[in-house]
Amino acid sequence: MKEFKPLPAQPAPNDTIGPIHWMKENLFSSPVNTIVTLAIIAFFATVIPPLVDWLFISANWVGNTQSACTNENGACWVFVIAWSKQFFYGSYPVEEIWRVNLCLIGLVAIIIASFKLNKDLRNKIAIPLFLLLPFISILFLDGSWIGLEYVSTDYWGGFTLNVLLAAASIIVAFPLSFLWALGRRSDMPFIRSVSIVLIEFFRGVPVLALFFMGSVMLPLFFPEGTNVDKLVRVWIVLTLFMSGYMAEVFRGGFQAVPKGQYEAADSLGLNFWQKTLLIILPQVIKISMPNILATFVMLFKNTTFLLIIGIFEMLSTTQTALTNSNWLGGHSTEGYLFVAVVFWICCFSMSMISNSIERKLDTSHKN
Amino acid sequence: MPEKPLVKSSPSFFNNPRNRSLIYQFLLLIGLAYFFYGIVSNTLANMEARGIKSGYDFLSTTAGFDILMSLVPYDATHTYGRTFIVGLLNTILVSTIGIILSTIVGFLMGIAHFSHNWLIRKLAVAYIETFRNIPLLLQIFFWYFAVLAALPSARQSMSFGEMIFLNVRGLYFPGLIAESGAGIVYGAIAAAIAGIFILIRWAKNRQNETGQQFPVLSTSIGILLGLPLLALFVSGFPFIWDFPALKGFNFRGGITVIPELMALALALTIYTGAFIAEAVRAGIQAVPQGQREAARSLGLKESKIMKLIIVPQAMRVITPLLNSEYQSLVKNSTLATAIGYPDLFTVFVGTTLNQTGQAIEIVFMTMAVYFVINMSISFVMNRFNASVELAERN
Repeated sequence: MKEFKPLPAQPAPNDTIGPIHWMKENLFSSPVNTIVTLAIIAFFATVIPPLVDWLFISANWVGNTQSACTNENGACWVFVIAWSKQFFYGSYPVEEIWRVNLCLIGLVAIIIASFKLNKDLRNKIAIPLFLLLPFISILFLDGSWIGLEYVSTDYWGGFTLNVLLAAASIIVAFPLSFLWALGRRSDMPFIRSVSIVLIEFFRGVPVLALFFMGSVMLPLFFPEGTNVDKLVRVWIVLTLFMSGYMAEVFRGGFQAVPKGQYEAADSLGLNFWQKTLLIILPQVIKISMPNILATFVMLFKNTTFLLIIGIFEMLSTTQTALTNSNWLGGHSTEGYLFVAVVFWICCFSMSMISNSIERKLDTSHKN
Repeated sequence: MPEKPLVKSSPSFFNNPRNRSLIYQFLLLIGLAYFFYGIVSNTLANMEARGIKSGYDFLSTTAGFDILMSLVPYDATHTYGRTFIVGLLNTILVSTIGIILSTIVGFLMGIAHFSHNWLIRKLAVAYIETFRNIPLLLQIFFWYFAVLAALPSARQSMSFGEMIFLNVRGLYFPGLIAESGAGIVYGAIAAAIAGIFILIRWAKNRQNETGQQFPVLSTSIGILLGLPLLALFVSGFPFIWDFPALKGFNFRGGITVIPELMALALALTIYTGAFIAEAVRAGIQAVPQGQREAARSLGLKESKIMKLIIVPQAMRVITPLLNSEYQSLVKNSTLATAIGYPDLFTVFVGTTLNQTGQAIEIVFMTMAVYFVINMSISFVMNRFNASVELAERN
């Protein structure tokens, strides 16, 4: 009897494996696709070499003044380098810049600490410090109350102002928006309607109108003679604006917490605040984290709007630099490109973090 | 004799939830009343000290300043009330352009994310991730100060077929001036639009009853083009072309799009388009894979699967997101003030407020306008949402 002997397996045909197959599948799968692919490649081939040349090869990198930009065909990065201190710190005195850096380091350290520390330390140290940080930072940056040299808010500016203002606003907005969201879910009709009006007002009005309110109308609201600093007014406005959006984020989070959690907390005999702060809030924050980050990215981008009411954040410093009489060479593309890259890196990395948290939380088995 | 309960059936006064909630609300009411009383009395005192009169009388005073662009006749002799109208129309104009264009860009890029072509997929991702993460104001500045300001001067204008001109002062294209008899053409356009609505209803009903499909899109385009063309021939072309021409240092005639409008519309379109593309992507991804597989196993073509199975289901996710994107586009159009496009904010909150000092009235009117615009968008989108929503059996 003849024994069955299978033939040795043939290698897969060349066009079903490897890069050739991939290209066939993804680039040249149909005549239309082939044409599109070739058109896109042709477009890149014409655009990228001159762009790279302008950006890097012919670009001017060294020097301090406009006259150092000798090559007309390249970007004048000297402009960005010469103004970089202004872009990041505004007109803050050079020898005091360590104070700004200290505040930034404090912010980063507290954020890292609240992720790394164990629960007890986090609740007792990291969170109170986090909530106090804006006020500590103000003490340091201003300096007059703690024996450092006084730096008026007129000199604060640059990218660090964008970061610190956005951070200070979201930190104060956290408890505020949580209260608003609670109010909106409350059974008490008057508290609920007040919360709804607040939330919808700050979400429905253009943030620019709010800034104008802050700079034109807020002084009218205070008793005569009180002079509230411009930056403080902006901070109030940004916080309220942010609270409106975050309250809605928290509301979504509240709705996502299963009803059983509330019932379990009730049956343990916890009172309202114990239930809300110990059982519900931690779950709400966890669920809403991606959306909180997304809202923060929006707020962070919106801090550039402060240019319109004359606060020297990064974009406004760039505008000033572009109109400086020593640099009237039309460096707007370089300037905007630099600011765009700085913001892009920050916003993109935050949205990456938000995506990864979302993926970690997503336990569904769709697709 | 009735038994006395061992435990009191009702809790003590302060532990009664009803009493508690009444007390809390009463406290809030007092707090708010005190807050508003403080604000109002401070404001009145401050206004008196600064000599500001309140009221809306200023609306009928002569404005005395010019506005760069106006859709209704306007010059410096008109009133402040008129500046409000001019600004409002300019806001509506740029918002409408932005909403239409960003929807087109957004849907194209969102669907491109699912293309069979790897390069197109990557381009869509690059577009979304680049423009979503750069502040809008920066993009407006980039288009206005870096791109449009680099266009050639009026004498060296870029020309497209000697009809459309583009230079640093704006975009010029030919306009139509209506003569007598144009009413027939306008009537034909209105009739065509009404006809299309009736056609869509009829085709939908027929498909529901008999299952037969009707080529709605091509017929609609046919009606929309055919009827006005027919009217044009019947009435003997009651329009004259108004071509832009270089006179002196600038172009005259035709329709002018000022660079401020171009930069703002461009930036709003690209920025919001990236968000809409992301919404469309999320919507399509939310449709379960099984739907696509089921459609394939029924033998539908790929293009039909997208149109009949995927997009209608994705619209349920997309529509609420579109609603909020449109609203934020309208709110973001206030950034016009940074480059001087005369929208409601620039004209009314900017110049008019500066001249009259009526801060409270003007800010209140402006906020009310944005509220009303956003409510209308919300209303329309909610109606639309109701039509795409899942019809569940109760």
